[in-house]
Amino acid sequence: MTTKAIACGRTAWRSLHYFAKRKKCQPIVYRCFWCSIRQSQKTEERIGDGRITHFGFETISEAQKEKKVGAVFSSVASSYDTMNDLMSLGIHRIWKDHFVRSLNPGSTSGKGWNILDVAGGTGDIAFRMLDHATQVNGDHSTKVTIADINPDMLAEGKKRALASKYADTGRLHFVLGNAESMPSMPSDSVDLYTVAFGIRNFTNKDAALREAFRVLRPGGVFACLEFSHVNSTLFNAVYKRWSFGAIPLIGQLVAGDRDSYQYLVESIERFPAQEEFRAMIGDAGFLVPGLGYENLSGGIASIHRGIKPL
Amino acid sequence: MRSSVPFYKLIWRPVYPRCTIRRGHSYHSENHPQPHPFPHAQEQILSSAMRHVPTHGFSMRALTEGAKESGYPEVSVQLLPRGVFDLINYHLVTQRLALKDRVQFTKDSKLGAGKKVRTLTLERLRANQDIIHQWQGALGQMSLLGNIPASLKELHMLSDEIWYLSGDTSVDTSWYTKRASLAALYASSELFMTADASKDFAATAEFVDRRLEDVQKVGKTVGGLGQFVGFWASNTLHLARSWGMRV
Repeated sequence: MTTKAIACGRTAWRSLHYFAKRKKCQPIVYRCFWCSIRQSQKTEERIGDGRITHFGFETISEAQKEKKVGAVFSSVASSYDTMNDLMSLGIHRIWKDHFVRSLNPGSTSGKGWNILDVAGGTGDIAFRMLDHATQVNGDHSTKVTIADINPDMLAEGKKRALASKYADTGRLHFVLGNAESMPSMPSDSVDLYTVAFGIRNFTNKDAALREAFRVLRPGGVFACLEFSHVNSTLFNAVYKRWSFGAIPLIGQLVAGDRDSYQYLVESIERFPAQEEFRAMIGDAGFLVPGLGYENLSGGIASIHRGIKPL
Repeated sequence: MRSSVPFYKLIWRPVYPRCTIRRGHSYHSENHPQPHPFPHAQEQILSSAMRHVPTHGFSMRALTEGAKESGYPEVSVQLLPRGVFDLINYHLVTQRLALKDRVQFTKDSKLGAGKKVRTLTLERLRANQDIIHQWQGALGQMSLLGNIPASLKELHMLSDEIWYLSGDTSVDTSWYTKRASLAALYASSELFMTADASKDFAATAEFVDRRLEDVQKVGKTVGGLGQFVGFWASNTLHLARSWGMRV
């Protein structure tokens, strides 16, 4: 090799090195898919003295999470439905319909069910439950209690309830409360406990599951519809592109709030996989029937069920 | 510290086979008791629900009645994720497993394999007699696209059970043909039985006999044809060799 070639190679190496170094010093100003992934792989450090938890890919103290999640949902409450339609291309309606139909709420023998819909602020699931009970099973006594930690989401639900046909039937109740501790709900009183696209945002999921176990009557059912993990590698690549690329952008354009939707996709990524969450439900004391979960749209969302033993 | 991940790994991740815990055995053992096929809570609901099948058919109604009867609230039918099909499957599995207690051949039984298969098949069909007026609905459920694989598997298991109990120990290709032909025979007889109004299902028994004869005839013909083709193939080979061909 000639000296010229060596010198040339050295120059090229130096410039590469230089660029690489410079890039490393740049602070991350925006959060793209790759950056988010890298950030998610950061080692966790303890913050302050309190216990830590996740807020999307950030690691924060438990006390902060409740406040931050509250801020996110206060910010998205008014545009919640439009955004859901845009982000899921309308499929979330099919998931919710399927969820309610598979639970088949409503009694055929007069005594209605007592349903508790946690994190159901806008009433999406609650209205479907009442519709199904009334129209399919001819049950006019099933009641739904909607519990949510966020007053803005509850206000949205109350507004819709007034416009619905269940306005003064006494079949809908709204409760402001934390799913991890619901002292207002008596033990062994609920037939069906549902949580749709909510448990992901809970600070302490295990505590929420234990509380669900407490309020359910023996034989009662815990059912959870939540984003989950796609099991096909190829589909996963496409899906991740969509969720990390398009969803924050849609949030920015339509709702004028990028950060909330960035949190949304990061929290989906953080949520335990199907098998892991099934084990959590089992650990809380529930019987898990069959496989324990049902994947929807290739695992983008999944339905988990647990039954409190007699 | 920031861990660096190669670019390609973000898109492509190797898929490792998942470890699954297999319950029970993958083979049939006479020396180990078979594990109970249904968990306790499901068993309670399903067995109570079966009592409501003659009146309500294989339906959600029967399931909710069964749940209520065994002390569960209506919502507990969620324990059975496949709903009505779980009830049908319960009937199929329990009746298949009950077969070995209902029909027992003595070790020195002089009955031929054909006779044993006939006895077992008729005994299994007889287990349907209380619910036969609801069975067409069940067949309809079983033929739904999502239920077909499970139904066919159960049909194969029944066919396998009958051959096993009749003392069949074949390990050649007839293992497959025997099970396939018996499965077809059983499925058609069951369908025939749903429309059988004769006393004690005598017409079904005759139907089974005719089908068994057919199977034996076809078996003989196929076997004879196989022998014939084999004979001529080996003859042709020897002839070619005698002419000096290197085959």
